[in-house]
Amino acid sequence: MIKDALEGKPLRHPLHPFLVHFPIGLFTLSLILDLISLWYPLDGLYRGAFYAIVLGVICSLTAAIPGFADFLDIRKDHPAKPKARLHMILNLIMVVTFAIDAWVRGQDLFFLRTPILPLLLSILGVLLLSISGYIGGAMIYDDGIAVGRHRRRTRTPPETIGIALPPTMRAESATGAQMIAVADADSVSEGESLRVDLSGTVIAVVKLDGAFYAFQEFCTHRFGPLSEGCLKEGQVECPWHGSRFDVRTGKVLHGPAKVDLKTYPVRVCQGKICVELAATAAKATPTQV
Amino acid sequence: MGHLPSFEPRYRRAKLKMPMSEETKSGGFLKHPLHPIAVHLPMALWPSAALFDLLSRADVGGNVMVRLSFWAISLGLVSALIAIPTGIVDWSGIKKEKAAWKIGLYHFGLNGLITILFVVNLLLRLKTFRFEDQVETGPFALSIIGTLLLIGSAYLGGLMVYDHGINVARHSKHKWRQVAEAAGANVPPKQEKQP
Repeated sequence: MIKDALEGKPLRHPLHPFLVHFPIGLFTLSLILDLISLWYPLDGLYRGAFYAIVLGVICSLTAAIPGFADFLDIRKDHPAKPKARLHMILNLIMVVTFAIDAWVRGQDLFFLRTPILPLLLSILGVLLLSISGYIGGAMIYDDGIAVGRHRRRTRTPPETIGIALPPTMRAESATGAQMIAVADADSVSEGESLRVDLSGTVIAVVKLDGAFYAFQEFCTHRFGPLSEGCLKEGQVECPWHGSRFDVRTGKVLHGPAKVDLKTYPVRVCQGKICVELAATAAKATPTQV
Repeated sequence: MGHLPSFEPRYRRAKLKMPMSEETKSGGFLKHPLHPIAVHLPMALWPSAALFDLLSRADVGGNVMVRLSFWAISLGLVSALIAIPTGIVDWSGIKKEKAAWKIGLYHFGLNGLITILFVVNLLLRLKTFRFEDQVETGPFALSIIGTLLLIGSAYLGGLMVYDHGINVARHSKHKWRQVAEAAGANVPPKQEKQP
């Protein structure tokens, strides 16, 4: 509940990317005022920069709270997780830098030109901010973190279940149908999903209307993560651009995707979810039949 | 007298009709769209200016607060000069039948209005900001109205990214294609033209 609110799900918009506008804008303003003061020592530039930094530090700390909730929400083995960690560490150093900067400036506010120590601290801070801001943007625009997340209200897979298959069972070499147990059936609730890596073949296993279905993890449009997609009415919706697929057949029901998903037969045997890998792999490559 | 030498219309047309490829959209060199970067300054500084106005009227900071507000609006306008063209370029890449196209249109219209409001706001302050201790009611009201409109418009811009996936996985789709192919997924044919 609190987690959903911090992630901005009721707003359909994450909170952290909104709140970070303020520190980015205010710290940039303060550095520009400092630089102007070196050439045009106007009254108020130095104090104005000080106020902007103080407000920026307050806004940074506010933005950190939903930012941390967003960080925890990223799947443990997601390629963006190290980026998110670096983003967080750089931002913490940045806030400390500006807090020291504000303290140094607070000692004496009546300079016309910004002295060298606060100027260097501000340059360092803005440099750190630019790098970590770029990383934060890359997480959204490259890795799709927090994109379409509000449509999925059930828990997303916290990590990928990795299963190493013996060579004879792998998709490319197996001959007959091979049922592979991936997880306990009662570990997945209605509308939830698993992300499973079967020796390199990555699939999403979902529970919808009491039954299990398995299909490829990556959307056929821009390869969004279907294990994090919204599940309803027998369909899975890609969180990124809203392509919808039939979970039974993998058929595209709504664009922008044009290519159907690969699906995999699933059965529950002895309380385990079992996925059949080889049979569909053969079906998908006609030359093998 | 023969024919007048003519320009080569085909050549000129070819130059004008440059296709909107992935690389010519904003931010190709950065591998990050430019519009969302440029909007940070107005989005932060115009509401901050409203706050500085409020503080000045509450007798906090005196003339420094009035000056700070003036500088904040100015820097926001400079950044808006980058945000507007990059935003138009990104918007023109969205197909008209998509829901995001209409949101983008409202976002564009509102932002144009907000920018004009802050230009007027700045002009009203131009003569007095150097010595006044409190921001006058007119510019203060414009800051508040501009801020409220800006939050609404920025929310629409945010919806385009977080609800409609505009600009998401545009620069990284080749990387993701390789990941998906390696994971045994069906992938679309390579020469696709997607929004």
